[in-house]
Amino acid sequence: MEKNTPTMNDKKYGRHIVQYPPEVSACVGCNACEIVCALVHEGKAGPMLRRIFLERDTVMLFNHVIHTCQHCVDHPCYDACPKKDAAMCLDEEKGIVYINAEFCIGCKRCIKACPFEPKRINFNKSEKKAVKCDLCRNRENGPACVEFCQVRCIGLSDQPLPPPPPTPAPPEGKPNENDSEQTPSA
Amino acid sequence: MEKLYGYVGKIARINLTSGEVSIIPTSNYVPKYIGGRGICNKIFWDEVGPGVKAFDPENKIIFMTGPTTGTGIPTGGRTVIAGISPQCYPEQYTWSGIGGWFGAELKYAGYDGLVIEGKAPERSYIWINDDKISILPADELWGLYTYETQLKLEEIHGKDVKSLVIGPAGENLVRMAVVASANETAASKGGFGAVFGSKNLKAITVRGTGTVQPADVEAVLRLRHKMGKPLYYTNPVKISKTFEGPGMNFPVEEGVKEIRTCCSHGCNQHCPRLFLDVKSVTQKSGRINQVSKCVGPFAIEWVNDCGWVPAQTFASEKNNNPACLMMSGAVVPPDLTDPAAPELFDFHPGDTYNLWEPDYDRGMVINELCSQYGLNKWDIIIWLMPWLAMGKKEGVLDDLDLGMEIDPSSEEFMKHLLDMIVYRKGYYGNLFAEGMARAIRELGKEKYGDTIYQGRFSKRLNGQRLDIPISFEAAWGYSAHWNGRGYQGSIDITAWLPILLELMTSSRDPQPNTHHHDTIDYMREARKDLYHGLAVPKSAIMNENKAELKEAITSCDWQLPDVYWPTAEAELFEAATGIKMSEEEMITAAERLKNLFRAILIRNYGRTREMEVNEVLPLHSYPDADGNVLDKKGFQVLVDNYYKLRGWDVKTGWPTRETYERLGLKEVADELEAIGKLPD
Repeated sequence: MEKNTPTMNDKKYGRHIVQYPPEVSACVGCNACEIVCALVHEGKAGPMLRRIFLERDTVMLFNHVIHTCQHCVDHPCYDACPKKDAAMCLDEEKGIVYINAEFCIGCKRCIKACPFEPKRINFNKSEKKAVKCDLCRNRENGPACVEFCQVRCIGLSDQPLPPPPPTPAPPEGKPNENDSEQTPSA
Repeated sequence: MEKLYGYVGKIARINLTSGEVSIIPTSNYVPKYIGGRGICNKIFWDEVGPGVKAFDPENKIIFMTGPTTGTGIPTGGRTVIAGISPQCYPEQYTWSGIGGWFGAELKYAGYDGLVIEGKAPERSYIWINDDKISILPADELWGLYTYETQLKLEEIHGKDVKSLVIGPAGENLVRMAVVASANETAASKGGFGAVFGSKNLKAITVRGTGTVQPADVEAVLRLRHKMGKPLYYTNPVKISKTFEGPGMNFPVEEGVKEIRTCCSHGCNQHCPRLFLDVKSVTQKSGRINQVSKCVGPFAIEWVNDCGWVPAQTFASEKNNNPACLMMSGAVVPPDLTDPAAPELFDFHPGDTYNLWEPDYDRGMVINELCSQYGLNKWDIIIWLMPWLAMGKKEGVLDDLDLGMEIDPSSEEFMKHLLDMIVYRKGYYGNLFAEGMARAIRELGKEKYGDTIYQGRFSKRLNGQRLDIPISFEAAWGYSAHWNGRGYQGSIDITAWLPILLELMTSSRDPQPNTHHHDTIDYMREARKDLYHGLAVPKSAIMNENKAELKEAITSCDWQLPDVYWPTAEAELFEAATGIKMSEEEMITAAERLKNLFRAILIRNYGRTREMEVNEVLPLHSYPDADGNVLDKKGFQVLVDNYYKLRGWDVKTGWPTRETYERLGLKEVADELEAIGKLPD
């Protein structure tokens, strides 16, 4: 099985979404990436519409793993598509492998061809169409999953790591004698 | 039928006695009752009459999501469980909020909620796989801790299932047993874990592969941006040599490793702390990760009660931050150019109690055991443990043989005691499994509840000793919570007075969904005349109404209300459903839900003014951290004014026919009139 790592910016893979290690930013497992992904593409949320896959760590809550399409340079999903260039398409300039849903016949060959486990191509069982990450190629702000990640634990593979959180600047004049006691409690 | 946005359109009724499953259209209840707790109230009113007890098969577990759940609207992952509560004293209808991922998954399976009734003949769990609902034997699950139950269900049904489960406490009908999901996310209030147990129901697990469609995706995304600011910071692992908590700062030999986490599907914040690699007594590795928010740290240390700054409760336009931002440490520094800053940041230190010294491992183990057994931490950490510490110091517990020397600061003793309680071992195990309210009455309240602890000292009054009873009982069988005395007692009178009204008209501790908020202008106005003015009752009503909306649409108490964004709830609701409601219409809907809840308490449990006023007087007769006690005469005026503003009769505390009819509840008024429970 091939894994996502932020060091996968090699010739085998195109530009893609990476999950940063917890030393940079730990995923909180909120599913916002999946939700906004489905919303911006389909106008609905739901597991079969997501193009990014969060595997939650139910109990320990620390090892949430985000699986994403790597936009493989050798694009086996594209090669397997019987309607290639109509359904599964290449944006060679941007290195994006994307699906034109209008022409997808729902044969799932692209899913079978995906070299990753779990698969990085989803299937919309209602519409009988394959769905996969297109890096929000037509979206002005870029990938919605990155834009709406509350803790910036994902990013584009060719972008620099996000900065650490700012250290809160002390206000002018301390408001009280014990800052630690200000933590609100439920 | 018109297309519903936000909702998915079906509520599943599951009869555990017969195994029958039927479908109720959600449109029977919406938009009038909005969702969440609003629908719970309506179903309970329609279906459960007086005389039913918490553990009777006729009691129902009503689980509801809101129209925001699963849509991506911030904090829509919150959901509600309601029914007759075994933890309430006396038993009565109540509810509990819960985050987690179950609610969203249930909607993806096609259900807005569940009504679970009857009692399974055998130990069972419910398996919901999209439109297929099965009741399966739970032999493999019975006896497992809450975490292991969830992991076992993932092993059986696949990694993607989301589960609501009970631990051994719920199985053994411990009255403060929770319904749990994920790690430490739980419906804690009410003891609904024991209701699960009484129905032979160990868990509900769901896999949903469908969709939820909000009415306005662009509005959803705008709300995520608006409610996310000023965050979007990274969340790196933080390692420190000391543990810092509310009023706590002490070295930890092995260091403290933590990140922030979140507690529900689609949340746009990350306020809880997740402590990594802490001591475990339930895992073979001896280590576990433990979520901690408000109560948890007090098992680690309780020398001082936690402090309070008015900015936690009151806001100005320049200093207005939701609690989640304060909790996650991402809040912007105070704006001290604000003329209100001296009032907003006037720190109120917590009273000194000297209950137990810091012990990181002990505290984490107690937290873990509560989570794994499925016990309400409020009853254990905030009520049982302080009672043991204070009672022991006062010599009240000398006659109690708990099988070990009583010492709540001892990990071994607490493990021993929790084991006794959860498995109902012996007289005392059974006694405390009934919850603190009942246990203390059984032992004798005068001695075991009302004895004064001599070790409470107010920092606000230069160390002056103040009276407080050894039992932190607030009302309805729940412990103190931002009541101006007892746990989180440092809040001042402008805050605890409206909170007192909220507690009075509730059936449980209402603070987890009604953390009080208002403007700095309110605080100033209230101080002019605490008991006779209208500022306090108006503030209570505003917060109660907002709480109704939070748990109906649904959203989180840690983000809302925003007193400078009064249309927030309407905007969230409209983004989900496409139904446009003004702020006033939303408030009317909230009043409808509150008055229906009131009608349930009146019809089923005989709620009256006298009953609820007497319920809240005892705790508030002790001084707050500033030395103030409740002015009982003034309080009666305050209650008069509150009732008048609500449209309730001042003599009985019952809503008038006019009030019910104004809110579209004529049939409720008719039914109450028929049984003589409408005011003359």
